Amino acid sequence: MSVKYGILTSLFRQRHHGYELKLEVDSLLGIKGKINPGQVYTTLDRLMRDQLVSSPGWDDQERKLFQLEARGKDELEKWLLEPVPYYTAKEDFFFKWNCARKIHFAQEKQMLEQQKEMIIKEVMELTKLKTELLLQGEENKYLLITGTLLHLEADLNWINQVENRSR
Amino acid sequence: MIKVTNLTKEFVQGQERTQVLKGIDLHIEEGEFVAIMGPSGSGKSTLLQLLGGLDVPTKGDIQVDQHFLNKMKERERTIFRRQKLGFIFQNYQLLPTLTVEENIAFPLHADGKLTNEKNKWIHELIASVGLEGLNRKRANLLSGGQQQRVAIARALVNHPAVLLADEPTGNLDRAKAEEILVLLSTFHRRKKQTIVMVTHDIFAAGFADHLILFKDGVIDQVISRKEEDYAKYLANFMA
Repeated sequence: MSVKYGILTSLFRQRHHGYELKLEVDSLLGIKGKINPGQVYTTLDRLMRDQLVSSPGWDDQERKLFQLEARGKDELEKWLLEPVPYYTAKEDFFFKWNCARKIHFAQEKQMLEQQKEMIIKEVMELTKLKTELLLQGEENKYLLITGTLLHLEADLNWINQVENRSR
Repeated sequence: MIKVTNLTKEFVQGQERTQVLKGIDLHIEEGEFVAIMGPSGSGKSTLLQLLGGLDVPTKGDIQVDQHFLNKMKERERTIFRRQKLGFIFQNYQLLPTLTVEENIAFPLHADGKLTNEKNKWIHELIASVGLEGLNRKRANLLSGGQQQRVAIARALVNHPAVLLADEPTGNLDRAKAEEILVLLSTFHRRKKQTIVMVTHDIFAAGFADHLILFKDGVIDQVISRKEEDYAKYLANFMA
């Protein structure tokens, strides 16, 4: 899903060839970035088939160029206006925890501790990274990491609450 | 920069003696940003007070910038504190009826007249903490976040060897706290300012290079972020 809208976003202002699109999408994905080039080309095939993207030809180095079609622009704008439910980002752990409760999993405490440890590690590393980004003038990346940290804070508080109620 | 050896602090009330610090050894290098974490009553704020010469130890040595604080007379310690240390407190501790620039200039008055050079530095500090245009506003008319910015500028006005911060974001919401921590971190990274910050907040501690975990008057763990398992120690400590 991210690759599709990443490509549509990258083509919004200018044409790109395939490898440029991979780099653009990596950059949009931020710290979690790095997609497989194959994913870009299979997604481009689908986008061409659905007439969201077309190819106006080749550049001077014989690389196939891609451009955004009106339908692609509409699709992108529609997606941008759809609110994202918060739970999607962390449903994996909630689901796992729910399963653990359902089967009265004896190691639930360990599961929560491990999750907490992971969150703390992310908090520490992201805090360091965001400070570096801010000093480099990367305001947007800094703000995105700040957002992630606020979610992590909520997750940490939630685990603490589960632990307190289980005592 | 800071070397603490066998530091002990006891408080006596009537017949009862309470040992708040129980023989602490600690070493903080120049240019480090260190966070001291621990539960309430673990002794972390007492340690900060001793490092800042605001109180004297019952036993042990405190060396700051190669000076033994515990061997100084009270007046010597006061001068050292004013010239070499900067303090930031949870409740800002500004003089409410003085303006922003008067508060920042306050520590300079004791060492003589304000020169043009010092005035220029005050204005530079006001700009660097993001309070341009508020020079003549009274401290009690500022928001909490703005007051803490003034406190940071005041703490830095004497180019301190060490900046000591006791829960500097404790009275602020997350967004304001972030601004203050970013400011401290910027001074640390750009000016190599040594900072020792007491906090109970892991999100504030994340800005530091090293973490000192305090429990019942002793150092439970000194954590370097280069260590593989540091998150595990932290998670256990916070459990």
